[in-house]
Amino acid sequence: MRPSVRKSVFAGIAGLSLAGTVAGCAPSATESTPAAPAGSAAATSAATPSAGSSSLAGSGATYKDGTYSADGNYVSPNGTETVGVQLTLAGGTVTAVDITQHPSNPNTRKFQGEFAGGIASQIVGKNIDELNVSKVAGSSLTSGGFNQAVEQIKSEAQ
Amino acid sequence: MPGEDWEDFGFEGIGTQWEISTPFPLAQSVRARLLNRVEEFDAAWSRFRADSRVSIMAREPGRFGFPDEAGRLGPLYRTLYGLTDGAMTPLIGASLERLGYDAGYSLKPSGSPLPAPPWDEVLKWDGTIITTTLPVVLDIGAAGKGLLVDLLADELEAEGIDSFVIDGSGDLLARGPQSTQVALEHPYNPGQAIGIVPLAGRALCASASNRRAWGDGWHHVLDGTTGQPVRTAVATWALADTAMLADALATALFFVPGARLEQAFDFSWLTVFSDGSAAHSAEFEGTLFT
Repeated sequence: MRPSVRKSVFAGIAGLSLAGTVAGCAPSATESTPAAPAGSAAATSAATPSAGSSSLAGSGATYKDGTYSADGNYVSPNGTETVGVQLTLAGGTVTAVDITQHPSNPNTRKFQGEFAGGIASQIVGKNIDELNVSKVAGSSLTSGGFNQAVEQIKSEAQ
Repeated sequence: MPGEDWEDFGFEGIGTQWEISTPFPLAQSVRARLLNRVEEFDAAWSRFRADSRVSIMAREPGRFGFPDEAGRLGPLYRTLYGLTDGAMTPLIGASLERLGYDAGYSLKPSGSPLPAPPWDEVLKWDGTIITTTLPVVLDIGAAGKGLLVDLLADELEAEGIDSFVIDGSGDLLARGPQSTQVALEHPYNPGQAIGIVPLAGRALCASASNRRAWGDGWHHVLDGTTGQPVRTAVATWALADTAMLADALATALFFVPGARLEQAFDFSWLTVFSDGSAAHSAEFEGTLFT
């Protein structure tokens, strides 16, 4: 059985927790902003990054360390929408993912904070990939845009 | 998808991704029939194509004939308009467009939110005939996707196919004896679920206020009486016999407590609030992860 679109997104970034954090950046033209490789302890790759370049797991290609952002588009029932994706690459591993809904929405961020704080004692999320389900009922429409942005980052980071 | 070896037919329609799962592959003629139905629906109801019936209505008042499905949609919208004290209305479109949710998708608010005009002053919805006294922007977004799910189910049943699951990007309808395990998507993390519901012979639809958000806190669910966005509930689910009903009621849960809607409709509901708490009817008992 062909996996659903949504599933393939998460398979594509296996090992990452795709927290729907809304970063506060304003919509920008698709630009890459390599930052100094932060000494993030989250990098689990055993390979020692040399000259700021190493391979992203599973891809075989090499990518430069840094923080990259790109916008992707997806079409909702109400037209074309944009999702911002920011990836931090360190030692050949993706160490952080931020999803931004454009334009940035302070109210959404507030809700996210509240939800993250209040959910533990009440509703708990489980990773969909770990559940035995055939379908997902929800209203996210971002998978296509996310994949598109990741592809762009991959090409820029080489 | 519900069975191990079911076949999926995927396509794009009304701006979103669709998947129809059946025990046997759909014949080419059936696929063509389904795609044609989607096109007919879009041609009548889309706000985003200049040649649609809805776009013509937005330019001039008059008497407009709509396809048969208008006969299902009108009474439902009218009932919900009453139950929500006017908050849920198909006339919300002008306010959405002013907030930047327009055909050009400017995302730039062009004025204060506009309250929707009172239904009886501008609109007469009589079966498949809609008569207007002013140019109005009709927006059937609260029930439209669910309605199309039902219409595609009708096409399949007319072809003698009685076991299937239609997935309109998360709005689901199952027919036949099989049961499908469905994850309820976490409102803030599409990689996670907050519960699992078995779906058999019915429709399950969701609505959320955090997607499709733009500007200074405007959410895509607007209260028609004030033109202001609705903020308390962050995600809702409704289980009903038809996808049109489940889709519309998932939106109505943003305006009216589920317990009150239950007095008017035969359905089950789940509402998740911004603080991570949830309220639900009996059928959702035990489906949430805690």
